[in-house]
Parts: sequence; C-alpha cells; structure tokens
Amino acid sequence: MRRLLVAMLALVSVVSGALIGHRVAPAASVSEVLIGSVLPLTGNFASLGQQYLWAAQTAEDIVNTDYADLQVPLGPGKGFPGLGGAPIKFIVRDDQSRGDQARTIVEQLISVNKVHWINGEGTSGSTSIIQPVVESAGIPLSCHPCASPTLTEKGMKWFWRTGPHDKVMVASVFSFLKEWREHGGPSDLKTVALFTCDNLFCQDNRKVAADLAPKAGFQVVLDLTTKTGATTLASEVQRLQAANADVLFLVQYTAETTVFQNDAKRAGFTPKVIATSNGAYSDETWLQAQKKTNGGSGWLGRDPTAIDLTHQRTSWKKVNEIYKKYSRGQNMGELAMREITGLLWMADVINRARSVEPAALARAARETNMGPEQLIIDYKGIKFDDHQQNTLATGVVTQIGWDGEKHTLWPWDLASKAGFKPIFPNPGWQERDSTPKPAS
Amino acid sequence: MTELAQAIVNGLQMGFLYALVAVGLTIIWGLMEMINFAHGEFLMLGMFGAWGLSAGLGLDPLLAIVPLGLAMFGFGVLVYRSLMRRVQGGDPFTQIFATIGLLFLLQNAVVAGFTSDYRFVGDSLLARLSGAKLRLLGITFGVPLLAAAGLALLLFLALYLLIERTEFGLALQATSEDRDAARLVGIRPQRMFAIAWGLGAALVAIAGAILVNFFAVYPQVGLQFTVLAYAIVALGGFGSILGTLLAALVVGVIQSVTVVYLPPAFKDAFVFASYLLIGLFRPQGLFGRF
Repeated sequence: MRRLLVAMLALVSVVSGALIGHRVAPAASVSEVLIGSVLPLTGNFASLGQQYLWAAQTAEDIVNTDYADLQVPLGPGKGFPGLGGAPIKFIVRDDQSRGDQARTIVEQLISVNKVHWINGEGTSGSTSIIQPVVESAGIPLSCHPCASPTLTEKGMKWFWRTGPHDKVMVASVFSFLKEWREHGGPSDLKTVALFTCDNLFCQDNRKVAADLAPKAGFQVVLDLTTKTGATTLASEVQRLQAANADVLFLVQYTAETTVFQNDAKRAGFTPKVIATSNGAYSDETWLQAQKKTNGGSGWLGRDPTAIDLTHQRTSWKKVNEIYKKYSRGQNMGELAMREITGLLWMADVINRARSVEPAALARAARETNMGPEQLIIDYKGIKFDDHQQNTLATGVVTQIGWDGEKHTLWPWDLASKAGFKPIFPNPGWQERDSTPKPAS
Repeated sequence: MTELAQAIVNGLQMGFLYALVAVGLTIIWGLMEMINFAHGEFLMLGMFGAWGLSAGLGLDPLLAIVPLGLAMFGFGVLVYRSLMRRVQGGDPFTQIFATIGLLFLLQNAVVAGFTSDYRFVGDSLLARLSGAKLRLLGITFGVPLLAAAGLALLLFLALYLLIERTEFGLALQATSEDRDAARLVGIRPQRMFAIAWGLGAALVAIAGAILVNFFAVYPQVGLQFTVLAYAIVALGGFGSILGTLLAALVVGVIQSVTVVYLPPAFKDAFVFASYLLIGLFRPQGLFGRF
C-alpha cells in the first residue's frame, strides 16, 4: 500500500512537472520567431512587393531594436518580452508574381523552414492560392494590404487581415459622391463608367462598384475590363468618351494608368470626376511623377487613412525615418503603412501569446482589442469579426491637389480638419499643362 | 464611321511603334534564325538608358537614340560573342534556355540596381507636345505619336535599304540562307551573326528611347511587347523587313478596331487568331519565303 502511495505520488509529481514544464517551455525554447514572407519581388507586381519587403525590414528593425520613445507595439525594448527577448526574423522569398510559385514557396517555408507565421503574398490573387495550403498546415496567415473581400468571406480559420477590404474602401468613394451634393458639391453627377483591369483585385473592385453605384444614385453607363499589360488603351478611351459618363471609376495599375493618361490626353478625354481605387493611386512613384506634369491633379481615390493628417503624427514620422533606411529614401506610401500596421499587430499577437504554438497565436489574435493610439494609420483600432477581418479598419477619400499631395475629402469630420477645398470639375489637359507644376 | 476611322488611325500609329520593337527580332530570329527570348529585356535596357540619360544629363530621349544605339550595338555583339556563339551549333533548346537565362539575369540585375519602381520621363520634347493635336476629316492625330510613328517609318526605310540594297545586307542574307556557301565567297559568318545581334539590340534600344515618351519604365516592361513582337515577326514572315512593318500595322489596327465593337478582352485574342488564320493559308507568313 505504501509502495502504491509512493508510486502514485511520484506519478503525480512527474505529470504535474511535465505539465508545468510544457506551459513554460515554449517561451524559453524559442530562440527566434520565424515569419515566412512570400512576396512578388520580381515580375508584374514587383513594385508592390518591394514596398512590402521594405515594410518587413522596418517591422523587423522596430521589434529587434530598442526605440524607447516609439509608441507602436514592440517599439520600446528589444525582441519579444513575452518570449524572453527572442528576436523576430523574416524569411523572405520571391514568387516572381506567380501564384503557383507562391504556393510552392509557402509549402517549403512551412515544412523546411518551420516558420511560425506566414505573411503575404501582398496581392489578393496569389493570397487566395496560398490560403488553402496554410489552412491545412494550421498556422496563422495574414495579408494586410490585400483588399479582395473574398479572402476573409471564405471563413478561413487561419487567415487574418487588419486592413480594410474593397467593400469598405469602394463604399467610401460612393458614400462621398452621394453625400458630396449635400456638402456643397455638384448636384449633376448622375452616371458612372467602370474601367478596370482583369485580375481578382480589379474585378472585386468592379463588382463592388457595380453594386454600390446604383445605390448611391448613379447609373452605370459603361463597364469595360481590360487586360493587365495593355500597350494601348486608345480605343477604350474612345468608348469611354462616347459613353460620356460624369464619373470615371478607374482601377488600373501604374503602367496601364500611364498608358490611359497618354491616350486620354491625345483624345482630349476629361470626365467631370476621376475616382480611383488603389492601383496607381497607391503607388508613391506614380504620385511623385504627377508632380512634374499635373497629370493626377483633381483625381480622387480611396485610401485607408487621411494621408495629410497622418503625416503629422509623431509615430508616423519616426516609423517613416526607419522605413527610409530600407527604401532608398522613399516615404511610406499607404500600402506600406497598411503592411507595417499589420506586421506590428502580428508582433503584438506573438508577444501576448507568449508562445509560437499555432493555437496560442490564434487565440491571442482573436482576442485583439487594440486602440487607435498604437497605430500609425487612421483605423479606429484593430478588432476582428467572426471572419477575422478587422472591423475597425476604415476607408477615407482623398484627392490629389495642385500641390501634388493627397488631401482628405471624406469622412467629413476629417475633411474639415484637413481644410482642403475639393478640385471640381476634374481639370482639362490644357489647364494641367498651363498650371505651374509642383516639381518643375 | 468616324469612330472606325479614328480607331484605324490609332491602330496604325501604334503599329509603327510595334514595328520598331519587332524589327530587331526580325533580324535575329527571322533572318539569322536564332531565338532571343531576352528581346524584351533589350527594349527595357533601352528604355532605362533613355530615362537615365534624361534624368541624369538632361538629354532628350530622341537625342539619346545615337549613344544608346551605339552602346546597345556593342552589347548585342558582346552577347553574341560571349554567349550565343557558344550555343549556336547546339540543340535549339540550348539557345532557348540561354536567352531565357539572359532574360532573368538582365531583369533581375536592373531590379537589384534600380529597384522595381516605375520611372517616368516627364520633360522630353514629345512629352511637352503631348497635348498637341491635328484634326483631319474629324479624325484626331496626336502630334507626339504621329512624330514617333514618322521616326519609326524613317528608321524602317533606312533599315530596308541597308538589308536589301547594300552589300552588307546581301552578305547578311547570304549568311542566313547558306553559311558554308557564304564562307566560300569570302563572307565571315561569325562576323555577320555578331553584327546581326548588334543591329537587333541597337534597333530595339532605339525603339525603347522612343517608347519612354509614352510608357512607364520598369524592369518588367519588355514582356508585354515581346509577345506581340513574336506574333508580328511570325505574321509578317521570317526575315522580311517589309513583312514586319505590314504585320505590325495589321496588329495595331486589329487591336484598336476590336475594342471599339467588342469587350477589350478580345483585343489580343483577335491578334493571335489572325496569325492562326493566316498561318492556315500562308504558314510562311505574309511576306516570308520557305
């Protein structure tokens, strides 16, 4: 009996010791937190991929360096305090802007590199391809600048997105256009033409716009989809000109937007309003180039943040200085801001989980309730719905002024803070040529 | 009717630019029967060169044609002597993989050196003329594109005369047709091949210097033109300079007219369908010879 008692005591002590050890062990055993980052660093979407790379380098720098006065998650202190100071390490792989390649890379990152989290791919199309792979592996996946609503609507268990999707952002454009007339804007805007490229991102934008336009009181008079990589859009411009819509809703990448601008200028095509959604409008290099030609002045578009007001934030300025170390001096564009915000949220999740076990990470991610004061962007915070979409991510409408900078037009409270008088109607090409250019 | 005429004019203007991009490929692939998948990257180098000379030295892209053409001629000769000559006698697949390797090397070297940012030439002569238009019978002609098309036509004419009316051109054609027979009459085939590569690279770089006035410059810009260039060379007939010009105009017009009446998705589909259709009746292309 005594021997049985001793044996039971020994068993209890061994089991409880093992349990305690199990609870403590992960924090102690993690020497570094590995983030698999699959990005389009070459190929068609390379200009996006490089911004995400610089964002990852910035996030890695912030987490691993002690920025005592930087008020963002993991800014002060080195590494993850919740994991005994372990540093973060991004393992970056280039998928050449190919979904099939992204899938193979993700399989390698999970099985060979044993990463704890996958972040990518940066474009909605390729992200939808890697989602099932990560879902079956059962580790967290995030894509913060991906805007296709379908990515979260599928109900994936392991996918998170802190950025707004297109239903939120395109809705902000049409809300602005609808409400504009009550805020001193034009009352004669009745028709819209949709002009979009052919990939998942563009087509999701097109579908959302086609749905929202009639609800906002607009008749869709033309719906044109073009192939990505077009060398000429002259005939498309002819059709847009013939349709004579008041508003042109344009979703095209930078190269195609440049082709469109040249063809529109040649044809003298000037709709009353040009509204865009991401694409060139989110590309810093395109924005800077417009300062030499006034080509973008008067264009309006959706952004995830009030760019002009955000730039005044101390935390934005400090993070931008870090970002510029990696971006060869280029400022953070809105895509980089969305990505960095998401990556710092991810770091906060890992720190709160005090573990790299997938279940613990998922629990900490679901429990997120982050206030706006910790963000470098204008979201109202970060909190997820059942589909793991951030419900506090917002949409803002901005317009490029004659100074070449973006100014907030909507929501109205932010617009009044920004104090910008909207440009209307969209300036003709002659006016653009004759008006002094900010960069000349 | 005016709508159709405008579309045809737009297509013809673009066609001249396509012709300039494709003619370098006509010489290397069509005339010398060597495959060059890096043709689009030669174009990209030309565009980057024109952008660099404009941004760095303030040299207008149209003036940059001369130094760029010379530099890229040298580069083309170098590519032939250091790479293509070694794989020329082997399996055609070796040539294919060598030029695909060259494609990735050039594209990624530019990504590493210049990043994948889009770059623009905003202050060139043609850019300054970008609002200027001519109107004739209700049809609008954009002056910059018209000037570029005119320049392309002049270059084409010069090339046609060089290939068809000079001893050098005849030597090039002789080398293409029968290397051993050409050697018997004193032509040095290796030299001819090297010059053909130089000429092809120079021509496409010149096309790049013209295109920077209308397109963004980025490391992947060549791809969208390469596919069209291959279709144009095959459609026009391998090795035919005039065929290339005509095929490029046909491609430009098909692209342009299709979109006026059908969804833009059909634009390139009709280009390749026309190639298949012509291929059924004239597999050698419009002006090609077997």
